[in-house]
Amino acid sequence: MRILVIGDGKVGHTLVEHLAQEGHDVVIIDSNDEVLERTQDTLDVMCIRGNGANAQTLMDAGAKKADIIIAATASDETNMLCCLIGKRMGAKYSIARIRDPEYNESLSMLRHELDIDMAINPERATAVEIGHLLRFPFAANVESFARGRVEMVGFRAQEGDPFIGLPMKDISRELKGIPQVLYALVEREGQVMIPVGDFSIRPGDLVHVAGDSITITNYFRYLGKSSVKIKDVMLLGGGRISYYLARILVPTGTRVSMIEIDQKKAEQLSEALPEVNVIYGDGTDQELLEQEGLRQMDAFVTLSNRDEENLMTGLFAVKQGVPKVIVKNNRVAYADLIGSLGLDSVVSPRSVTCANILRYVRARANSGEGTMVEKLHRLVGGKAEALEFTAKAGDPYIGIPLKDLNRRKNTLVAVIVRQRQVIVPFGGDHIEAGDTVIIISCESGISDLNEVIRK
Amino acid sequence: MNKRLVIKVLGVLMLIEALAMLPSLGIGLIHKDPRDAKAMLYSMLPLIAAGLPMWLLAKPSENNMRAKEGFVIVALAWLQLSLFGALPFVFSGMIPNYIDALFEAVSGFTTTGATVVTDFVNRPHGVMFWRAFTHWIGGMGVLVLTLALLPQMTGRTSHLVRAESPGPSMSKIVPKMGDSAKILYLIYAVLTVIEFIALIIAGMSVYDAAIHALSTAGTGGFSTYGASIGAFNSLAIEIIITVFMVLYGVNFALYYHALIGDWKAITKSEELRWYLGIYLFSVVFITIFISPMYGSVAKGLRYSTFEVASLVSTTGFGLVDFNTWPQAAKALVLILMFLGSCAGSTAGGMKTIRVALLCKIGVREVRRTFQPRKVQVIRFEGKGVEEAQLSQIAVFFFVYLALILLGMLLISLENRFDMQANFSAALTCVSNVGPGFGAIASDFAGYGSFAKIVLSLLMLAGRLEMFPILVLFHPAIWRKG
Repeated sequence: MRILVIGDGKVGHTLVEHLAQEGHDVVIIDSNDEVLERTQDTLDVMCIRGNGANAQTLMDAGAKKADIIIAATASDETNMLCCLIGKRMGAKYSIARIRDPEYNESLSMLRHELDIDMAINPERATAVEIGHLLRFPFAANVESFARGRVEMVGFRAQEGDPFIGLPMKDISRELKGIPQVLYALVEREGQVMIPVGDFSIRPGDLVHVAGDSITITNYFRYLGKSSVKIKDVMLLGGGRISYYLARILVPTGTRVSMIEIDQKKAEQLSEALPEVNVIYGDGTDQELLEQEGLRQMDAFVTLSNRDEENLMTGLFAVKQGVPKVIVKNNRVAYADLIGSLGLDSVVSPRSVTCANILRYVRARANSGEGTMVEKLHRLVGGKAEALEFTAKAGDPYIGIPLKDLNRRKNTLVAVIVRQRQVIVPFGGDHIEAGDTVIIISCESGISDLNEVIRK
Repeated sequence: MNKRLVIKVLGVLMLIEALAMLPSLGIGLIHKDPRDAKAMLYSMLPLIAAGLPMWLLAKPSENNMRAKEGFVIVALAWLQLSLFGALPFVFSGMIPNYIDALFEAVSGFTTTGATVVTDFVNRPHGVMFWRAFTHWIGGMGVLVLTLALLPQMTGRTSHLVRAESPGPSMSKIVPKMGDSAKILYLIYAVLTVIEFIALIIAGMSVYDAAIHALSTAGTGGFSTYGASIGAFNSLAIEIIITVFMVLYGVNFALYYHALIGDWKAITKSEELRWYLGIYLFSVVFITIFISPMYGSVAKGLRYSTFEVASLVSTTGFGLVDFNTWPQAAKALVLILMFLGSCAGSTAGGMKTIRVALLCKIGVREVRRTFQPRKVQVIRFEGKGVEEAQLSQIAVFFFVYLALILLGMLLISLENRFDMQANFSAALTCVSNVGPGFGAIASDFAGYGSFAKIVLSLLMLAGRLEMFPILVLFHPAIWRKG
């Protein structure tokens, strides 16, 4: 597909990197020569210098023939304008990043009037993601599939967990008494693998298990991990993510404290969120944190604008014994480092935004041919992906037991959802038309179920 | 440095060179010349013997090509191409001395067209075809060819193409590098075939037409005759070759725009205007000065249109000997040897865009002396040019001159020819033109081995636009890490 990306910033660059890797013809527009040069050096895409909202620039970049136009500049207005002009020129779909909460209120109207096919608000999307994490506090990340029927939870294996040391091929026999889940992915020392055969889990591994939501809940209850319920949350920084997150948490009965360094902003937040305990002060001040009861908190989320500040304060909170610490970090390169420091839950607005957009692009890329990617989740810092497909009638793999099909390497058919039933498949199971199939893969770029299983 | 990756890519390039020798082998077989079959087969063997294991056995730990690897690959690739490309000349007995053969091969791949061959009678057809074919491969670039054939070979390829493609900034014509390379080679091949057919219609033999079509395409200048195009004495052939020489000097991206119907890009191209402007001015200027010598304006125009096209496109075909021209015309010939054609063409020289920008920088500096606070942004093709790029171009100009002067100094050590010959030899090699003044008006056979090696390096430096070759001489590139 021809994809036009406007804005070579954090999100734009990451997006382009993945899109180019997946073989799309990508053109990127930015007004800054320096960033374009870096992109030109590292990626096989076409770079055009100019203003994306300028009709001539869009024309030069081939907006007329573009399949998707993605506007991810720093300005909401520019993004909307880019999409509007691009669409008028002939682009088939448009995606705009719109982050101002004020536009967010009237988003559906705006989207309709400007003919934007997808509007993404990175801060809101990140807040939703953090909300998920707080529901399973012991988890490093939580993904849900098939409209919430299937859940996949990543957590650190600890000494004493019943599955430690058991080879994968014997695990269902050995652990008969425990609710049966699928061990989908294991990350060890930065390496991601799909556990099969003689592989066994060691303490310290980041394990991802998948299954239907009830089984997953029972499983963790059995492991003794889900006894903690988050009641008190402290947020560092009163930015947009904090605002959205507070709006998600307050209705669930969670008590939220928020520390904001700017007095005016703190006052505004207090006015907008009367149920939230807004504190005016420097969130990196340890005395202030202790004074405001950091130690009594069930969770601490660092959402300031500086990655380093988030990290350091997050580490401090871990040291103080806060059971759940979530850190916002925008630099993907740090992800491995952070994991080794004992901070498991890292969210990055950039990754969240990219995942959302990629999900949409892949769905478009596949519409009409093969099966449709309904959803795409990036796991463990982008090293693995979980994809949700709907099996189409007439595909060659339909009705054939999985053990008789050629399966792609480093890829796992994790879960099949048939009507309301969730199946963790074994060799004898097969796929029927209309099933929702969840694939887990250590490779990226899969866009069709036929690439994974063949006759 | 990622040495394994470098080795792997070089291995692939060896196999591609072996593949490129097949047409010459075929021509040899058609002409039933045992010298050709032997020469081409013997030359292919070491390429395959070395290339295959390098390609198959080198396992790069990562596919990451940084600027360093990119430049080293390009420089070594061209050295290797020339070292092996010289073998057919030696094995066929056409140029028995290896250093001479190497000079001929470098001259071929860099599309210079300077030759050591003085006698063109009874030469092996296949090897002569190989000699012209090196122009064709070198013109568009062997790494671009590799990308067109194997787009997935390496991860990051922009450094490779940037180092190999002529001009200060690389502009892709479509988003994917592999696709761009394919389109470029397709345009190149189609133009070559059209010229080939036109030359046959104009009365050349099929063999001569093929050689001259390949030679023009790469803007090289190797011919099958000592008198070059003058040997045909045909106005039709001269016109066809003139037109194509000018065409190959144009940025190939413009042809792509023409193909997709985007004529605005062509009418708006400032570089094209400069290029054609320089061409027309030089034709008029030289016609004025040489017409009295040939007795008629028609003849003067005939020779000047051809010779100027040959110089501006850095092809170097000869029709008449410009050494006999009046001094004013000769002076302009020398200047034209510097200039070259558009970026993104197959020609050598400094490139029109750099010349144009240097002129603009010069004018700006003059104005700045008396109006220092005036903000002056230099514009080209309707857009402001970044200061960083301008200073790069100024540095390029310095290095270009410095190399010519250094080259002149080095080849003068042999103490064989006068300064005019030595200077023009260094200039014509760096600019990839071919012919020079005085003793080297038709061939370079008179120089010794040392001078030939120096000139070969100058030709490579000129073809790769200085820096990839100079990089090899910088100690930091070979240090660990």
